[in-house]
Amino acid sequence: MTPNDAQSVTLVVRETIRATPERLFAAWTRPEQLMQWWGPEGVTCTAAEVDLKVGGAYRIANRFPDGTLLWITGNFEVIEPPHRLVYTWSTGMEPGASERVTVRFAAHGDATEVSVIHERIRDAALRDMHEKGWLGCLAGLRRYLASG
Amino acid sequence: MPSSALPRTRERELDRVFGALSDRTRRAILARLAEGPARVSELAEPFRMSLPAVSRHLKVLERARLIARDVDGRVHHCSLAPDSLRDVDRWLHHYRGFWEGSLKSLARYVEQDKTRKLR
Repeated sequence: MTPNDAQSVTLVVRETIRATPERLFAAWTRPEQLMQWWGPEGVTCTAAEVDLKVGGAYRIANRFPDGTLLWITGNFEVIEPPHRLVYTWSTGMEPGASERVTVRFAAHGDATEVSVIHERIRDAALRDMHEKGWLGCLAGLRRYLASG
Repeated sequence: MPSSALPRTRERELDRVFGALSDRTRRAILARLAEGPARVSELAEPFRMSLPAVSRHLKVLERARLIARDVDGRVHHCSLAPDSLRDVDRWLHHYRGFWEGSLKSLARYVEQDKTRKLR
């Protein structure tokens, strides 16, 4: 597991579902199945494309109750059927930022615990700029305080 | 059963955030910045605190990444950091709802599908 970036925020959501990991992995990765359940109540998935290979891209269209359409896009980083998927996540609403989703399917008897780990990772360049900015500020502050 | 164990860097980050919030002067500074950016001298004023003293508080808040600083010539402006608690809280709230709803939808989908197959 890669170390967590100090500027990232992580959300973990779990649900136990009466189905095998294989069944759930298929539901999550096959576009024709994904479209049938994706999204919370009120949000419909109107299109989905999945190129299931490391580096492959996916696109999921989300139609909200008010009619707006939002595309979620990303690329696969890890594909380990039927237990793990890791992919990047972008809604295009936060320029420069990227997020990462890890989905795990762990069998527990005749059910599966589905865990979604959603990390919000700041763009590395943006983070470096931030750090340089702060270091500059502190140096400036030191000079300011030293000057009396 | 332990809940999700966080990586060490994340734990340190949380230590800094809670450490920063454990002081009422720093909480007041954050409350002031929630209304908009301010100069360091403006932040010091309500407490009648020396600039080195307020700087110590600001350093703690900066290390916790709760505030950001802009230098404009000799004037130092502070503002809530883009990754401030409010922003983080909003993101968490939004996506928690999104994923919980999606997983319930997934459960309905695979469980109803199974029922159909059994007929």
